[in-house]
Amino acid sequence: MLVVDGLDVHYGDLQVLWGISLEVRDGEIVALIGSNGAGKSTLIRAIAGLIRPTKGTIRLDHLLLNRRPPHEIVKAGISMVPEGRRLFPKMSVLQNLRMGAFMKKARHEIEQTLGWVYDIFPVLKERSDQPAGLLSGGEQQMLAIGRALMANNRVLLLDEMSLGLSPLLVQNLFKIIAQINETGISVLIVEQNVPMTLRLADRAYIIETGHIVGEGAAESLLNSPRVREAYLGIGPECEDSLGGV
Amino acid sequence: MGQTLVYGILNGSLYGIIALGIALVFGIMKYLNLAQGTLIILGAYIGLYLSQLGLDPFLSIPVVMVALFLFAAVLFKTCFSRLINFDEEEKIKNSLLISFGLMLFLDNLITVIWTSDERSITPAYSGITFELFGLRIPLIGLAGALLAVILILLLHLFLTRTYFGQSVVAVSQDQEAASLMGVNVSLTFLTSFAISVSIASIPSMLIALQSFSPTVGLHWFNKGIVVVILSGIGNIYGVLPAGLFLGIIEALSVYIFGPSYREVTGLAVFVLILILVPKGLFRRRGAA
Amino acid sequence: MHSRKIIPVILLLAVIALFPVMTRSEYILNIMITFFLYVILSESWNLIGGFAGQISLGHSAFFGIGALVTRLVWLSGIPVIPALFAGGIGAAALACSVGIPCLRMTQAYFPIGTLALAMIAQITIGNIFPLPGSLSSEYVAAYNLSSRYYLAFAVGIFTVLTVYLFARSKKGLALVAIRDDEGAAAAVGVKPFQHKILALLVSSFMAGLGGGIFAYQHVSYFYSAPFELSWAFLPTLTTFIGGLGTISGPIIGSVAFLALSELFVLNLGEIHLLVFGATFVLIVMFLPKGLFSLSVGIRSFLRDWALRLIGRGEAKKL
Repeated sequence: MLVVDGLDVHYGDLQVLWGISLEVRDGEIVALIGSNGAGKSTLIRAIAGLIRPTKGTIRLDHLLLNRRPPHEIVKAGISMVPEGRRLFPKMSVLQNLRMGAFMKKARHEIEQTLGWVYDIFPVLKERSDQPAGLLSGGEQQMLAIGRALMANNRVLLLDEMSLGLSPLLVQNLFKIIAQINETGISVLIVEQNVPMTLRLADRAYIIETGHIVGEGAAESLLNSPRVREAYLGIGPECEDSLGGV
Repeated sequence: MGQTLVYGILNGSLYGIIALGIALVFGIMKYLNLAQGTLIILGAYIGLYLSQLGLDPFLSIPVVMVALFLFAAVLFKTCFSRLINFDEEEKIKNSLLISFGLMLFLDNLITVIWTSDERSITPAYSGITFELFGLRIPLIGLAGALLAVILILLLHLFLTRTYFGQSVVAVSQDQEAASLMGVNVSLTFLTSFAISVSIASIPSMLIALQSFSPTVGLHWFNKGIVVVILSGIGNIYGVLPAGLFLGIIEALSVYIFGPSYREVTGLAVFVLILILVPKGLFRRRGAA
Repeated sequence: MHSRKIIPVILLLAVIALFPVMTRSEYILNIMITFFLYVILSESWNLIGGFAGQISLGHSAFFGIGALVTRLVWLSGIPVIPALFAGGIGAAALACSVGIPCLRMTQAYFPIGTLALAMIAQITIGNIFPLPGSLSSEYVAAYNLSSRYYLAFAVGIFTVLTVYLFARSKKGLALVAIRDDEGAAAAVGVKPFQHKILALLVSSFMAGLGGGIFAYQHVSYFYSAPFELSWAFLPTLTTFIGGLGTISGPIIGSVAFLALSELFVLNLGEIHLLVFGATFVLIVMFLPKGLFSLSVGIRSFLRDWALRLIGRGEAKKL
């Protein structure tokens, strides 16, 4: 239902994305993988409306979204958890969550959604009166995800969610994302942690220097020698060491 | 001495409301509006025009408020809207420069329309004072101080109790994140700018009741920016105490050095504080 | 500068140098002196505002101190050229004591801090010297406009050359690097703060020389007159309108400012400032490199157009 077709993005005169096409179907988790600076974050920011593409289209069902400002894209049904969490540091946890439900349609269901988010992240309920800036890194990330969920949207974009968090916390967050996905929310995820992301995702796209160079079912990518060599740092000769990630 | 303090406090509350407009724009948008003083003076001339039609200065405040709101909205659309997505430093620099040009333009436009003569509005009650604990308190000054307090309370309620107010606070803390929550940032900017300028209608009237001429806008801006920096940039709850502080310092310097050094003392204290406590005197943790 | 350009520049300077010989009109000579003043002040501002990227709204303080010191030293019987230097050094000393703390502050504070400095200076001097200072009769008897003219002309050339050489030097290049990306410049070992101080000192010294010319030119003026804020706004306007961070920009801007102010001189409310204010806003918004970039654009447009007329074969020879 989220369909990106032939997207070009420029920073000034510099072209960073070239004819990107991808699709996120209903209820899917789709991963974008690629090395640093390949354009993953640029792509996800372009979908959220934070960057204006120069060419191509972004559609949600039949709604054309490219060249719309971010607030209209949220209204159309796409929420984003930005890189670096980007909470409102001086607002309390509860105020942050309420800001997540700023849109009129989300305001009507706010109490219900809040209950659901508190169920997923009980720690947010405990900390609801604390300023967001004083939370720990993991709690901040939970708040960022919770805040995006407050909009009650069908599509969730996750940009570098695990940056700076401990492996245990990351594993936990991935489980929660799977849980959220089971309620019917489609997820597009950009991650550094390739093996874990491929285990979580249904499908994945590989981006290199602004081009999509591969796509497929996550499982088959996880087993493809090319991906293992490029992103998992594992040559074909030592395959069995992958087990414990 | 006590009488000096009374005048210091009343002047200080005027400085506080002037600063409020500048602090709001800076805190929310990271724009530095050098033309705020000139817009105050523009409001004073509109008030003068209304008083010539027979409207009482205090009753004309709402009219001036609406006029300034609309004028500011147009000004924002034409001159300032292109800066919305600049990074913070570029915003400060470009808004400062644009508003500097606007200040020169408007100052001289006002001169062309109303001549450079010094004006003032003098209603029948302009000289009235009353006594309290042996101190003379001018009626107009006291009304101004009350208006300042009411205005800050209203603004506080608006920012904390309404959805729109919360979105303004969100934009001030992280513009991009706010847009991802569904906040229309350009509309928030436009409205915040227009509200901040329309707040100038109160100092407009208080200054109109003293005296004004086309080019004193920068002088009043300067009072305002001194207070803004004293209170810690962007902190709207600090502007009233910081304004009172400046008012009292000035009053004391008049008492000690005589009236000709009033401005210098205020500015010198300001420069000293800028150097010694660059984060401001009246900073409150967690304030918007 | 290309060697090609040197000849017309020298010719132009020679013509300007002959003005006092060609005309006895005090009006024209005074206008030219004012023009030199504008150029001196604008180029000086350009160094800190254009090359270092620090917008100063307080250059009137440096200009004013230069005027005050020069006037007092000169009237105490010392020849004008040492007096002029004393003025420049006075301005640099003021920059040292107050300007440097201002530079320590972040971008938002520097313009505001310098503006406050300018206001303090104006009011204080107005309080200390409430009366206009006039030349005594022996000085008036010795008054000679063409000596003022040549001194202003010389200081003007000195200022332009200084900024030109400074901008081309290693320090000047470092300054531009800092302006464009302070973090990156610091990462390669450039010390941002030291370079900004140097730019401020040179800039204020030259503004002080400009003030000295003002003091030498006028027979009688209020001591606070060169401290008026218009002397702070003028170089900001001319430099932006002419072209920030270029050598010819401030000169172009000064010509435009002077021409407009003379054109509207009899009008109410300084219409030239109204025009300049509006132009300034438009330029900050649409032409951040100033009229200079427009002239470059027009020139290249005209050249392209001419080339197309002449035809491809001829164009190759150009």
